[in-house]
Amino acid sequence: MTGKLITMHDTSPVSAPLREPGSARTRAAALLRAPLTRRAWAEAAYCLAAFPLGLAGGVLLAVLLALGAGLTVSLVGAVIGVLVLVGCVRLARGLGALHRGLAAGLLGERVPGPVPSRPGSGVLGRLDARLRDGAGWRATAYVLVKLPMSALGMYAVLWWLTGLTNVTAPLRWGVFGQDTGSGDVGGMPVLTPIPVGSLEVRTFAGTFAALALGLALLLLAPWATRLVVEADRRLLRALLGPGHLADRVRDLEETRALAVDDSVALLRRVERDLHDGAQVRLVAVAMSLDMIKERLDEADDGSRGGSEHPAGPGPKPGTGPDATSPSLDLARVRQLVDVAHHNATEALTELRDLARGIHPPVLDDGLPDALATLVARSTLPVELATDIPRRPTPAIETIAYFCAAELLTNVIKHSNAERAAITVTEETEGGVGVLRLRVTDDGRGGADVGAGSGLIGLTQRVRTVDGRLRVHSPDGGPTEVTVELPLHA
Amino acid sequence: MRVVIAEDAAVLRELLAQMLVERGHEVCATVGDADALRAAVAEHRPDVTVVDIRMPPSHTDEGLRAAIDIRREHPGTGVLLFSQYVETKYATRLLSDGSAGVGYLLKDRVANVAEFTDALARVAGGGTALDPEVVTQLAGASRRAAELTPLTARERQVLSLMAEGRSNAAIAQTLVVSAGTVEKHVAAVFDKLGLPASHDANRRVLAVLRYLRG
Repeated sequence: MTGKLITMHDTSPVSAPLREPGSARTRAAALLRAPLTRRAWAEAAYCLAAFPLGLAGGVLLAVLLALGAGLTVSLVGAVIGVLVLVGCVRLARGLGALHRGLAAGLLGERVPGPVPSRPGSGVLGRLDARLRDGAGWRATAYVLVKLPMSALGMYAVLWWLTGLTNVTAPLRWGVFGQDTGSGDVGGMPVLTPIPVGSLEVRTFAGTFAALALGLALLLLAPWATRLVVEADRRLLRALLGPGHLADRVRDLEETRALAVDDSVALLRRVERDLHDGAQVRLVAVAMSLDMIKERLDEADDGSRGGSEHPAGPGPKPGTGPDATSPSLDLARVRQLVDVAHHNATEALTELRDLARGIHPPVLDDGLPDALATLVARSTLPVELATDIPRRPTPAIETIAYFCAAELLTNVIKHSNAERAAITVTEETEGGVGVLRLRVTDDGRGGADVGAGSGLIGLTQRVRTVDGRLRVHSPDGGPTEVTVELPLHA
Repeated sequence: MRVVIAEDAAVLRELLAQMLVERGHEVCATVGDADALRAAVAEHRPDVTVVDIRMPPSHTDEGLRAAIDIRREHPGTGVLLFSQYVETKYATRLLSDGSAGVGYLLKDRVANVAEFTDALARVAGGGTALDPEVVTQLAGASRRAAELTPLTARERQVLSLMAEGRSNAAIAQTLVVSAGTVEKHVAAVFDKLGLPASHDANRRVLAVLRYLRG
């Protein structure tokens, strides 16, 4: 995933801005309402939920890193140390993905993952690639910084908790009396997130002062969590996102190579198809025609030669009574004509299929028309829905079309499905237009990008324009493949 | 003639076999890949084999490699390679150990059935049949291409036809001139290029090719 799709700011009500523009009055109302917004709660929930993960992950990684670094420095354990470090980077990537998921789920902060680490060849090559995995080390940094960050988040949550506790002071006084169950005879303690010595109230009226303090804390609490969450968002984007220029350059190098390979492969396929198909057919046609011509020439010569004898006026070969004149073997000629005709027809079909394989002409009229034709030609019932208000560039349309065609072929070939559906929508995400193609079926599932399927080829082709392909295909189905493409290549 | 056909496109394979049988030749075997070709030639010892260059599994030059093996192991069997394209490199490899009983034609040439069977008969009889394309390419790749300039247009034509492996009579027929005229042209060509004159078509091809490759 790369530049074109990364800035996907959430616009859902969860993160609707608290500060609405307007008069001081509406601003004050907004401030008063802050603790009651979904966004504030979601952020508090995020701080709470991220705490155990941040704490455990951070401590684990810090210990492993220290262990790995220590072993690497010592001569004896250098190999193990390096392996531990590699493990750390992998672990950090995994933890990073968990944090990203949490942020996406609770904050609506969808940070696309970094590009996968380079595979590398050979043991040393792979080790080298893993150790130079920039995105992995950035994830490591995030997990380590997240350790104090999640503690800060927990502290921000404390503001909510103390606020809520204080707000309930009069109620608790009324229900339980002055004695708050601590056994200690004295006032009812008033909690504050900032240590200010021991505060307590000794009268029922005093509990209302605690209530007031609680309300004030509740008004401030959203801003405490907001502060932590905002800092965390920045870290998320900077450290867990697709990353720096170097990564981007590597990604572009890779995808450019893919694009070149793809076009070479296409040309080779076209040459092979022509060579094995139409060319052979046409040679066969020419050969049959020549064989027919020879027969006609012979019959001609024969009838001309025959006409020197009194063989009757009828120049029709083969019908004359003269047995010495070579007659036209009509049955054989017809057979040759049939062969020629058959091969000519086949050549036409093959050429048409080939031309359509290079570029379906109907695609010039737009993706919806092309997909409608594709679906109509399918042997499987396919439901098609398209909503494309802004037309993508031809390159994107072509890629989307061939993805749909290939995915549909996969469905028919492998999935055992009874029906399929193709949905194409054009949406705006973070101000960038995205074409989303979704192919679903009710088949047996189990499709895997890695399992030598055509999905690898598709993924590569999609990547050449900064798009991405996702497969959701549990065993037993149903399968859903989503292809996201930018509107402009 | 006893013929073995190796061609991976079934359409063409069958049509070729039919055509040869109709003309009274014996088609011992038709095969679709190089290994089967080697086996069929070893079994039937045909006069000539028709070999497609691109065949499974790799669809590159397995036909050519099989042809070179056959020429080494069964010198009595002529080899006529045919292909959609003419590659200078393939021609050079094929002709590297002599041009007797060798042919290299474009597939398109089967569209003229009579000429194709003539070429096949020539190769079966130990002669040569080179596609005009092959000759053009060899001449074009020749370092001595410049030396061909003193030849007249007619003499170049005669040179090409000689290189294709045709006899004087055949050349005369093709150019619609008398045999005597052809002889004069041939003599002129050999004279201008400084080649020893010869009436044997095969030795002549060899001389011309050696000249062109030189």
